[in-house]
Amino acid sequence: MKRRSMMRTLGLAMAVLAGPVTALAADPIKVGMLFPQSGGAGDDGQRVTQAVRVMTDLINQKGGVLGRPLQLVVLDDESTPAVGVAKANDLIGQGVAVVIEGYNSPVTLAIQPVLARAGIMDITILSKADGILASASNPLAVRMNSSNGMDAAAAADWLMKTVKAKRIAFASQNDAYGNGAQAGVEAELKKAGWAYEIATQQGFSFTSTDFRVAVTAIKDSKADAVMVTNSSASSGMPAFLQQYHQQQVNIPLIAAVGTVSPQVLEVAGAAANGVVSADIYFADVEPFASIPTNKEFVAALKKDGKVIADKFTALGAGALQVWAIAANQAKSLEKEKVAATIRGHTIPGTIFGDATFAANGQLQARYFPMVVKDGKIVVQP
Amino acid sequence: MIRPLAWVALIVGGYFLPPLLGGATLIYNTLVVIAIFAVMAYGQDIVLSDLGEVSLAHTAFFATGAYAAGILAVEYGWGAWATLAASCAAALVLAVILGLITLRAREFAFSLVTYAANVVCYTICYNWNALGGSDGFVGVPPLDLSVPGLRLTALSNKDLWPYAYGLLVLTLYFVSRFRRSKLGHAALMVHMNAPLATMSGLDPGKVRLLVFMVSAPLTALGGWLYAYQRAYVGPDLFETYFLVLMLTAVVLIGRRVLSGPLIGISVLMVQKSYLSFGAYFDKIVLGVVLVLVLCVFPGGVSGVLAAGWRRVRA
Repeated sequence: MKRRSMMRTLGLAMAVLAGPVTALAADPIKVGMLFPQSGGAGDDGQRVTQAVRVMTDLINQKGGVLGRPLQLVVLDDESTPAVGVAKANDLIGQGVAVVIEGYNSPVTLAIQPVLARAGIMDITILSKADGILASASNPLAVRMNSSNGMDAAAAADWLMKTVKAKRIAFASQNDAYGNGAQAGVEAELKKAGWAYEIATQQGFSFTSTDFRVAVTAIKDSKADAVMVTNSSASSGMPAFLQQYHQQQVNIPLIAAVGTVSPQVLEVAGAAANGVVSADIYFADVEPFASIPTNKEFVAALKKDGKVIADKFTALGAGALQVWAIAANQAKSLEKEKVAATIRGHTIPGTIFGDATFAANGQLQARYFPMVVKDGKIVVQP
Repeated sequence: MIRPLAWVALIVGGYFLPPLLGGATLIYNTLVVIAIFAVMAYGQDIVLSDLGEVSLAHTAFFATGAYAAGILAVEYGWGAWATLAASCAAALVLAVILGLITLRAREFAFSLVTYAANVVCYTICYNWNALGGSDGFVGVPPLDLSVPGLRLTALSNKDLWPYAYGLLVLTLYFVSRFRRSKLGHAALMVHMNAPLATMSGLDPGKVRLLVFMVSAPLTALGGWLYAYQRAYVGPDLFETYFLVLMLTAVVLIGRRVLSGPLIGISVLMVQKSYLSFGAYFDKIVLGVVLVLVLCVFPGGVSGVLAAGWRRVRA
């Protein structure tokens, strides 16, 4: 009896000791998602967030990161740098291991130093400003979306070789992203020794939806080609395309890389026909169509039924996936170790296949030219 | 003797507020931002409460303080003491220019001119690369106010709290002294009865200019510390977000209430940090509160409380 009692006590003690250890091992890792959930970019932000949620479930089904499940903490940056900074501080306070962020470049530029000071790893999904990877205040940056500089080469190539444009009209979002995109294209044209002149220069804000004055000026400019840079997929870009179509501007139109999404086509309708662009991901186009992880992601989104697989959702989910694989490889959640595993290396088995990152943290992407026909994106060979 | 002691106890108690509230990172974040934005709002408070004008240029003063700190720290490696002086000086210069332009403008015209000034400043900053253009300046170093023999640096919001709190206390003291000063009395007289002020030997134009010059560096000080707190300055500093914040903070509690802007900012920031219902709903709540205060309770919360107190006593 005494022996049984002793065994019981010992067993109880072991259970008490083991309890916290088991609980600790299963403690979730908090992942911060700082993205617009309201305003003009809210619709895009919610779609990307949903895709990240689906990826969180996929990762958790496979054992999580370092044997711990991931727990997503979503906050709305309201596309406002000041709010983004406050929310970044909030995430730091909640003890997140990584922050998946970046729809607007100004918000990303504002929150990165705050996260870097706190030693929190962050991965930028969409923001394109070149300063994001060049800032001394965030030396371990990682970005999924292509940079303005990379996109510029693809756009300049089309302007020079396909349209042979000598007079170019630019309609650019007047911020770090839009101005950077235009500057990049002009730099590429100059680098190639291409003689051109700016037929007209039209600027607008990210929130603009009325482009009638700009479109009239473009129509009157007698340009050979128009390049439009507008990152607002839910309102700005569809509005521009509709007003361009309504005013019957018969000038070839190229949209900046990644700005013609299925969502834009859904809103713009037939007005988008003929628009030329390029992008870095198409769920059902090779090589992505054959990548097992991508097929799994697309199937999971279909099962979830809330959003479709497009570049925005793939980059968001891919950002989390890259971080999770890197953290497992590094066997650590420490920013320095995880960032070192990503920057300048290849992360295997992602939505994008083997994802190679440049030494500065930029994901290397391949461009697929595309044109809109009958309201659908047709990827060019 | 009791009153000064009570003030000292209140100031000391305020300093220990973050640990008393649990000391979580979010507590420090929220309180530091409250202190910074309250300092920003006190500049607006002086113009709105004492001069009776609605200045829409105070966002520009706030941004001027932040830009001066950001540019000089990032591009020229200036220390925090030097940028502090430069922020105040830059805001003072801008205030003199704006003050002279708006010398004869009143009410709606004054607000419109100050709004136009804000738009001009924003456009210049947004488009001029020397001022960072649309990218602004990234990488403002952590606050370092060290003096020989004493290390005073702030890497996190927890480290920043003593400085933000100190600046807030000094601001409160300054505003309270201003209201008891000759200029404060003159401002009130010009506000309440300009002809009487003139008959009393005051020059309303000069008084208005001086008050403007006093208020601008105050708001700029908030911008100066904000630049170090968030390590980035950009054109978003001119956004209506900050303007709405400071105007709401002043009118919410009531004009000429010393603690008014501080309480107003605290309510807004605490709601944002702890009781947020999402961006859309937050904006609706803020809009409804503003309409209610301006249309139904123009005296603010303090006016409602005072009326209630009078009724109880009657």
